[in-house]
Amino acid sequence: MFEVFKKELRELLRDKKTLLFVVALPVAIFPLLFAVMAFISSQAAMDAEQKVNTYAIINGEYAQEFTDKVFYHKSFELYKGTKTFNNIEELKAGVIAGDIDMGIYLPSHAEQTLDKGEQSQWQVVFNDSKSINFLFERVKELAKEYSDVLQTQKLISFGIEESVQKSILNPIEVIKVDTADKRENLGEKIGGFLPYLLIPLVLMGATYPAIDLGAGEKERGTLETLLLTPITRTELVLGKFITLLTTSIASTTITVLSMGCWIALALAFADLDFIKAAFSTLAVTDLLMIFVLLLPVAAIFSALALAISIYARTFKEAQNYMAPLSMGVFFPIIISIMPNMELTAKTAFIPVTNVALAIKEIVKGTVDYTFVGLIFLATAIIAAGLLAFCVKWFNREDVLFR
Amino acid sequence: MIEVAGLKKKFKLTKDHKKNKIDDIDPREDKDYFHSVRDVSFSCAKGEVLGLLGPNGAGKTTTLRMISTALKPDEGSITIAGNDIVKKPLLGRKSIGFLSGSTGLYGRLTVKENIEYFAKLHGMSKSDIASRCDELFTLLDMHKFVDKRAENLSTGMKQKANIARAVVHRPAVVVLDEPTTGLDIMTTQTVIQFIKGLKAQGTPVIFSTHHLDEVALLCDRVAVINEGISCFDGTVDEFKQAGNSDELNQAFMNILTEKHDV
Repeated sequence: MFEVFKKELRELLRDKKTLLFVVALPVAIFPLLFAVMAFISSQAAMDAEQKVNTYAIINGEYAQEFTDKVFYHKSFELYKGTKTFNNIEELKAGVIAGDIDMGIYLPSHAEQTLDKGEQSQWQVVFNDSKSINFLFERVKELAKEYSDVLQTQKLISFGIEESVQKSILNPIEVIKVDTADKRENLGEKIGGFLPYLLIPLVLMGATYPAIDLGAGEKERGTLETLLLTPITRTELVLGKFITLLTTSIASTTITVLSMGCWIALALAFADLDFIKAAFSTLAVTDLLMIFVLLLPVAAIFSALALAISIYARTFKEAQNYMAPLSMGVFFPIIISIMPNMELTAKTAFIPVTNVALAIKEIVKGTVDYTFVGLIFLATAIIAAGLLAFCVKWFNREDVLFR
Repeated sequence: MIEVAGLKKKFKLTKDHKKNKIDDIDPREDKDYFHSVRDVSFSCAKGEVLGLLGPNGAGKTTTLRMISTALKPDEGSITIAGNDIVKKPLLGRKSIGFLSGSTGLYGRLTVKENIEYFAKLHGMSKSDIASRCDELFTLLDMHKFVDKRAENLSTGMKQKANIARAVVHRPAVVVLDEPTTGLDIMTTQTVIQFIKGLKAQGTPVIFSTHHLDEVALLCDRVAVINEGISCFDGTVDEFKQAGNSDELNQAFMNILTEKHDV
């Protein structure tokens, strides 16, 4: 068994493709992609925020205070072109043509409507299909400020003093008293994200080498010679299984360590308080516990990938069979972030979901250690069952010689 | 000495097989199974080379796979020096060296690593592996390329490495399944010389082939299988006699036709 393991590992380490998937991707490419994505999105958000948008307003004189607020806002600039805008249709045409970024239409009877104590409806014309758009929110905010002033004035005219207006408009105010500490709050956010990153990585670390160890042996014509050596099928399966378990765990560990290094590097050069606060809550024991919980998950994936791979006749066929497994792994993770999904004695027995829930609880610092033990046991039993199935699978002639 | 008696092996037909069934009725096929080997018996004594002949699909490869313990027979026995390897497959694997035309090597390992790996799986000691490897590398003139990765070898070099891999554990019996198929003349010569060498050492060799010139050159005995049944087992002379011809090709055709007509 150890000889099989040693040989498989040696061969995998000489395979450029495996090294790319198991080492290069986690070390360089993933963090690089995340960094590029983060940079592009933050740049886009900054550009959208700093952009000065051209606008036109119709009937602005009926709400001069609001019109002035828009005029003096740093993000807005009044249209100074030759075109004139007299109705909502012309504003729409102006936005579509790109002459203006936004049009504000106030009804001509706005003043009378407000005087009569009725609600006045104002329209903002803009293109909402842009992914980052602050236009509408900013105009709404300015309108709200103006609306609040009008509201106060109106209530005073009705004889309601400003000091009591608050109690009339909002008789009850609900104040949130949060018992969750900082770690729990951050843990809820990061803890839900971590399984999305770690569990598929555990799977990826097992699937690619598994294809080589199973279907690859068939395609190269080495399987038959291997089956004719005086080692038992159990030893053969165990040798291959431990190889996959090693690559799976190695890939995950490398990724986590590499991300840790990249985050530390980013923190050294930039002031990223949120990230600093989020990761400072995690202790070494928490990371160890997550690692221990991922071990039986890696065992499940390794056994599954090996069983699938040995069934396939060719490398290509094995890749086709692995695709649904790669997609399928996300379902139990999604279940773990569904509303009201908590780690209980029942959910502790749902494979993968249980580990995803436990990771969240560990990060939050609210994990019940009895459940961690239960999850480890339940996942290890499933992994052992799958491994036994794998051994049986390796003994079937219709699987080996399809 | 290896003795094969009353071997039988059937395979369950898949839905695809049933769907793609050709109209011609194969006598070996029933509703759910394909009887690949129905009754095969032969023997090969120490120092003998036995040629296993038969048309494509006759059951030669299945028979050799059963002998090599890759497949388990449904019925029958295979004994090597009195031990039934059907019942003791691990013992069989220690006693048999197997090589086929499609046997591969681990491309990312060197030739030496490939051979050492199989030697270790056969439980050989470090010193024994070193001396045996050196012996085989000299015998097969492999020293120049033993440290090259198998993926970078020529076909001839690969076949030499395969031969060394198959016999590194000093097997009591060597089984070869069409070992020269697809090989060039030079590489074929290497295989032929290898078989002659085994014969000289007294190792029984069973090999399947379609090349009757190789049978004439190497074999002491011939066994013919047709439609999964043994239809001849005897010496080369007896083969010619049974086939009413001195030409091996003609004798083979006559034996097949005669048995078919019966």
